[in-house]
Amino acid sequence: MKRMQTEILVIGGGATGTGVAWDAALRGFRTVLVEKRDLTHGTTGRYHGLLHSGARYVLKDPDSAVECISENRILRRTHTHCIEDTSGFFVVTPEDEDDYPDRFAAACRRLDVPCTEIPAASALRREPLLNPRISRVFELPDAAADSFLAAHATAQAARQAGATLLPYHELTRLHLSGGDGNRTLSGATILDTVSGEELHIDADLVINAAGAWSGHVAALADVEVKMILGKGVMLATNARLTNTVINRCKMPGDGDILVPIHTVTVIGTTDERVAEPEDLPIEQWEIDLMLTEGDKLVPGLSRTRILRAWAGVRPLYQETQLPGRPAQSENRAQSSKYPATKLPQDSRDATRALALLDHQQRDGLRGFITITGGKWTTFRLMAESAVDAACEQLGVSRPCRTADTPVPGVEQGHYWLGHRLNEVEDENLQSELVCECELVTRSMLEGAVQRNPTVTLDDLRRDVRLGMGPCQGGFCTYRAVGILHQLRAGNASSAAGEWNVAHMQSPAHHHRDSPTPEQQATASEPASVPTPQGDFRQRSAAVDPQAAVSQPNLLLRDFLQERWKGVAPILWGQQLRQERLDELIYLSILNADHLPVDDGESPLSSFYRSDSSISDLDR
Amino acid sequence: MLDLLVIGAGLTGLFAAYTAARAGLHVRVIAHGAGATHWHAGTIDLLGYVENRDEAVANWTQALPELPPAHPYRLLGVDAIATALDAFQQFTVAAALPYVRPGTIMSLPAPSASEDESSQTRGQVEQIDNDNLGRNCQLISPVGAPRPVYLAPTAQQAGNLEDDRPLVIVGLEGMPEFYPALSAENLQKQGFYARTATLNLSPLLRRRDISPLQMARTLDKLDAQAQFTEMVADMAAPGERVGLPALLGMDAHTRLLTQLQEAVVDRGRDSAQHSDRRGTVLSVFEIPTLPPSVPGLRLDAALRIQLAGLGVRVEIGMEVCGFHATGRRIQWIETETGSRPLRHTARNYLLATGGILGGGIYADRCGRVKETVFDLPLTAPHARSHWLRPLFLDKRGHPIFQAGVSVNHHFRPLDQSGAPVYDNLWAAGSILAHTDPIRERSREGIAIATGYAAANGVIKSQ
Repeated sequence: MKRMQTEILVIGGGATGTGVAWDAALRGFRTVLVEKRDLTHGTTGRYHGLLHSGARYVLKDPDSAVECISENRILRRTHTHCIEDTSGFFVVTPEDEDDYPDRFAAACRRLDVPCTEIPAASALRREPLLNPRISRVFELPDAAADSFLAAHATAQAARQAGATLLPYHELTRLHLSGGDGNRTLSGATILDTVSGEELHIDADLVINAAGAWSGHVAALADVEVKMILGKGVMLATNARLTNTVINRCKMPGDGDILVPIHTVTVIGTTDERVAEPEDLPIEQWEIDLMLTEGDKLVPGLSRTRILRAWAGVRPLYQETQLPGRPAQSENRAQSSKYPATKLPQDSRDATRALALLDHQQRDGLRGFITITGGKWTTFRLMAESAVDAACEQLGVSRPCRTADTPVPGVEQGHYWLGHRLNEVEDENLQSELVCECELVTRSMLEGAVQRNPTVTLDDLRRDVRLGMGPCQGGFCTYRAVGILHQLRAGNASSAAGEWNVAHMQSPAHHHRDSPTPEQQATASEPASVPTPQGDFRQRSAAVDPQAAVSQPNLLLRDFLQERWKGVAPILWGQQLRQERLDELIYLSILNADHLPVDDGESPLSSFYRSDSSISDLDR
Repeated sequence: MLDLLVIGAGLTGLFAAYTAARAGLHVRVIAHGAGATHWHAGTIDLLGYVENRDEAVANWTQALPELPPAHPYRLLGVDAIATALDAFQQFTVAAALPYVRPGTIMSLPAPSASEDESSQTRGQVEQIDNDNLGRNCQLISPVGAPRPVYLAPTAQQAGNLEDDRPLVIVGLEGMPEFYPALSAENLQKQGFYARTATLNLSPLLRRRDISPLQMARTLDKLDAQAQFTEMVADMAAPGERVGLPALLGMDAHTRLLTQLQEAVVDRGRDSAQHSDRRGTVLSVFEIPTLPPSVPGLRLDAALRIQLAGLGVRVEIGMEVCGFHATGRRIQWIETETGSRPLRHTARNYLLATGGILGGGIYADRCGRVKETVFDLPLTAPHARSHWLRPLFLDKRGHPIFQAGVSVNHHFRPLDQSGAPVYDNLWAAGSILAHTDPIRERSREGIAIATGYAAANGVIKSQ
């Protein structure tokens, strides 16, 4: 069994976890992050991409609103290239309450959320597809965010500050010692899900940033953290219907947000309470509700071609009075609107404010902190609160630096829609197009494979948007498998490079701006902080392209299934026809369902098959 | 007045039009777009898999009883299918694009300097050998899986996996459509000897990122053919068969194939096994690629040239927007134009618009499944929740893709009571119900056999 020693161990590789690793490393802590699958595999990679201005919550959840607007301003500086400055409209449709808009505007003023009412006619000039019957429009600093890119940029910043990030490492056990009153968490046993090896990490402090999985992680420490899991279903249309984020000016409800993100518009979301974070069925009524509600914002939206549906789980948390213990008030952001003893039955009513649980105070367990609740928009603040609490437990005082430290890539300025084309047309990146829909070239794919652990094609999707366009992997799945296979068969020098995806989705990413591994190594390792570099190198080798694509036929099938589970709920009309073309390619031309497969299942195959619930057949 | 108006320009529509026109009928084809022939592999897949069986169908004549009773093949029976395929083979010979059962010994036409293939000697094709009637063979898919195929053009013959000669799979640098190493590795896993080689095309081309179609057009030029032939011959070891992505020329395809064959066989001349008393054993073959398909385009072009020779017009860009019927007779159909609907009148109509892929069937969000031209009654799953299965590669296929028009033995669309909807309407091809041609690998077989049967139905009704 391999061993590692660190000061702070972070559980979870989403926005929060990478944020915590970044913050902790910047404060000089030796930091290791483990994530059971790829970075952003959880809710971070499954949300609509809205950088909140906070306006959505000014009346319902003012604490969250205040957090959002403050973080909105900070992230525009620290993660500029991950944000498209779209601006946001809150529009009043004929179906919305008459008195809400004035209360809304007043609340925005009260909470210092910049809100300007503009004439409906000028909003319609800017967004001609908007419902012409809207009566009032407020403009706010909402924006569209690329959560994949942002998490990768944060992760890169964390690595540069000395943190070690281990994707495909699953927490299996937390090490507890001491008896009542002196219980301490001293480390964790981690399973490398690719190699099957166990890793033992000793840590002074463990920060649980596992999002929707936080309850499960806490349970390993015999601590009860009762999450309220609110499943949200989202749809992507095959075109950008608006260039501005559109919200209904009403109490937050289902299907009342449109976010233009990259080349699509995302409509979201539903909010259904679920029992388990991987319990993500997409029901037909949810799709229909999204489309019906979407029509109220952009008439005809329900007749546009829908590319895909997906579901994410909000990791909401509401502290309740635990039996036999006095109520704790450690959560500074706890809303007073809900009495602490009453758990909201509807996840729509649970607060979106962050929740920091210091288990030393709360449960008498030293060395363990849970950071949960919150929004993507507030991930940096969540990380700050968690590491503040860590400092307190560890008895040190080191100020947070993340609010003033831009992550790698910000020099590119705000994201803009034409960047991909610009990049492909740039001669330096000219090479074969692998994915025509998302303009992914061979060199982008090779760069991503060399710089990131690539265990599945889905990992490449998160890195370079492979298979995210109208054909949903129809043409690129085969090509990507072919290229990965070539890389494996080719030179071994492509393996084990530094992970560097911070620039992956932005103009001129890995060719011009990224430092060489040597430069990076020197820049990223302050001499005073010895990082467990040996383990990191080994890890990097374990996920190199050689190992990753040992079973190309499984890569192919898994990705086809992964794409299928998101298109199956929205297959009708032209998208059904598109899917039939994909069948022609993969069944009739490639005969992919009769390929030899060595040992039948990859460690990840079962996952891709499990979380789909798209059909009444075979249920 | 037209005797037959065919709606749809896929393999079904064009071959039916050819059949009817050869019988002397006055025929026209109209279609919204070019048919799906452009997308597929250019082989004739007759029946590759049946439900509940993992292994490929070895002989389709024996597998027919396992199909559901309403399956188009069961309506036809073995003899009718065989007759239709025989007619198709005769057409391919006439069109100088001969299709045979892989494994059939055949000789290539002598290389000719002329660009015009139709002037070349027609390939000498064996007639269907009764011993082999119905026997499928397996060709190589782009990922190296076996493709169960019944008939293949000359250019794909040597990929027959019944043959045990070693393979060299040749890729082209800078072409994202073909990965020889992946293909070869999968062939090795199945016990075949396969190695790979890569051609550097820089002497031929300046740009990278070239598609098979562009490459095929480049290879129609004489000097490019000569250079390419030399490069390929250099790759091949004696006794090997050479597999290339399907891009060996469009219009001047036969000449390039013949040249390549001669050059590759020349290198292996010392071993006597490569010539045969009845002809040459083919040693160069194409492996189909992702759409658009060069072999599919060749087949489409061959059909259109033959139709033009018979005076049949094929008009693309004609979307049907309405029709008029009196009682059980269709009087005319109308297509969309810039100004006003254009009226097409014919004695008989053949619906060959395809299934969901071809656009003959449209399935909407509310679960309604509609035939797009005549709004014919369809056999389809009753609700959207019953359209699909949870696994994409489920061997049983997705029920929505079996949606289609139910027909009688004469390929007349039926209403719910089982009576023909119109007396002068026929339907054929992927629009038919009770089959999922892509799962079954029966696309072309169904197109040819039902198209031929429907055309003959029209001929007899005259």
